[in-house]
Amino acid sequence: MSDWRRIDIDAFDPESGRLTKQDVQPPHASQITLQEITPKISQLRSLASSGDSKSAVALAVSDPPYSGDENTKAEYFKAVLETLTQVRQADIAGVVSGLTSEQQDTLVKYLYKGMSIPEGQKQGGILLAWFERVTQVAGVRPVSHFINDRNTV
Amino acid sequence: MSQSLRPYLTAVRYSLEAALTLTNFSSQEVERHNRPEIEVPNTSAELLLQPMHIARSETEQVLIEPSVNSVRISLMVKQADEIEQILVHKFTIFLEQRAEAFHILRRVPIKGYSISFLITNKHTESMKTGKLVDFIIEFMEEVDKEISEMKLFLNARARFVANEYLGEFVY
Amino acid sequence: MLHLQSSNLLIQKTFTEALEANKSGEPLTFDRIISDFDYTNFHVSNDPENKTQLFLSVRTKAWNSILNCDSNGSQGVLSYLAAKYTKLAGITVAGGSESGFDYTLAIDLNQLTGETIVQLSLLKTNIMSYPFYLAFQEFATLSTQNPTTTTVTVGRFNEETGNVSSIDVSSTLYTIQYRDNENMFIKPSNDRITVIFETFFQDETDKVFGKVFLQEFVDARKRNRDIQSAPQVIFSTEPPLELQNHLPKNNEVNDEASKRFITFVLFPRHFANDELQFKTVSQLTLFRNYFHYHIKCSKAYMHSRMRYRVDTFVKVLNRAKIDEDDEENGNTETKRTITGRKMVY
Repeated sequence: MSDWRRIDIDAFDPESGRLTKQDVQPPHASQITLQEITPKISQLRSLASSGDSKSAVALAVSDPPYSGDENTKAEYFKAVLETLTQVRQADIAGVVSGLTSEQQDTLVKYLYKGMSIPEGQKQGGILLAWFERVTQVAGVRPVSHFINDRNTV
Repeated sequence: MSQSLRPYLTAVRYSLEAALTLTNFSSQEVERHNRPEIEVPNTSAELLLQPMHIARSETEQVLIEPSVNSVRISLMVKQADEIEQILVHKFTIFLEQRAEAFHILRRVPIKGYSISFLITNKHTESMKTGKLVDFIIEFMEEVDKEISEMKLFLNARARFVANEYLGEFVY
Repeated sequence: MLHLQSSNLLIQKTFTEALEANKSGEPLTFDRIISDFDYTNFHVSNDPENKTQLFLSVRTKAWNSILNCDSNGSQGVLSYLAAKYTKLAGITVAGGSESGFDYTLAIDLNQLTGETIVQLSLLKTNIMSYPFYLAFQEFATLSTQNPTTTTVTVGRFNEETGNVSSIDVSSTLYTIQYRDNENMFIKPSNDRITVIFETFFQDETDKVFGKVFLQEFVDARKRNRDIQSAPQVIFSTEPPLELQNHLPKNNEVNDEASKRFITFVLFPRHFANDELQFKTVSQLTLFRNYFHYHIKCSKAYMHSRMRYRVDTFVKVLNRAKIDEDDEENGNTETKRTITGRKMVY
């Protein structure tokens, strides 16, 4: 205990009023599990492979599993990333303008998440192309919503 | 400008514009203190916002960490080989030694990144936010250009020097 | 300043100065220390009684190793240098070298000429050239022993593998230790002379820069047709085969990884006569200085470049600053006198 002067005693005080990352997470009524999301993932995959990019992306960014645990989110994200990378560059603008503003917000969330992990960074160019289209349609709004939203994907 | 550089810079620009909405915020922990909340991360999670990763590739990334009164921007500059690594290191060290002149430059980059900036509400009060964003964007462009130019110069000089030296042996 | 001069400019200047002062009848008193590359120092001084008598002493790191090059001990290099200098007007070899120095020449100002001064300034190069001189001699004897192989192997030199040790006729290896941990090796053989430089980089940056430069030395000959006849250069991080049994064991550099070996392969065309020999030797003795010098120059250039770049960045950043004067002027109109001066309250 040589460094006892540096101990942050407030961290041990339950009354300190400090908030941690878990505390600011919005409460969810129920937690979504991997089993519950699996049908959606397979639906997403079949839509994406059938070439119907518009409805595939729309499905991907509607009602994302906010309440799931890390594993569930990761599995779902994998499917979303596949969907996004399968869309042809020329179609991106059309797909983005067909989304509602909430869906656009969610799309931006997935784009940022993608760029934060190695699998997505490899596809950096594609994710950036999506990002550019979204900002062309919606401006800075989805980005502002992203940084202020505590619901993570 | 290469194909993927433009969307990269646009993404950084929008992210910065969204993040640079700072306000004066006194410390909740220590009376009469006013500190950049992003630099004291373990006390109040409610003051920190979602960090933004923008990646062009695995080696070229920007991390923007916003908070209520400060934003930390960290750049990872592309380093393709040993020479670029040395040049980037030299260049960033050189800049960091002159951090006073830059106001917003952080003296030490955060781990894993080449160089970091810290913009606080003090800066956005005394400087135009739009121009600050312009600066970061221009910085990103110029650093890449500078590194590749220096590398070209080094190779060109080495080639010339070797040619001249060996040329002395030709009779 | 692309090339380094093999002569020492300061020595030239000092002696020209001395010569002129002597001519005008007022000989100067000298006590000068002049430095050169690789821990070499010169000392120019007067005879205490006779001001027209000057001494030029030299101390160089390489001296001891050059003495060891010759099996006859120190006599070889001394007579070699004596032969070079005593034939020049006004120079005699001093009886003993000045204390603290390796070799001393005595110069009589009354007989000194311009040509002699040039030769004096080449003293370091001349000392360094002694092992080369030995190597050239040995080459001459070796090549007469095997006249047939000589002609054949010169033509069929294996450029692909860079294998230069296929014919190992001579076991002689002249070593010049010209810096603390850096050596130069000269190996005569029956059709070529191999000169190997051992160098190391203390600095991480130098190491990377050095790699770029040395690689260019290797590639330059392949790329540029005009310099096809230059010596072949081989660069390696491992000691070349020639050195395998000869490397000094008392190596103080622990970091073996930072060692670099550069091999120059000299063919007879590079040392066919005395003049070529001198040119080749003076180029080679300056090799290390030359490319280290250019590494430093590159660093200096980059530094000034970065300085400039920082200035432009600061300018861009300053554009963001809100100019306080502008706002004041916008809000309240400045009152001026009739002559146009600002009113101060």
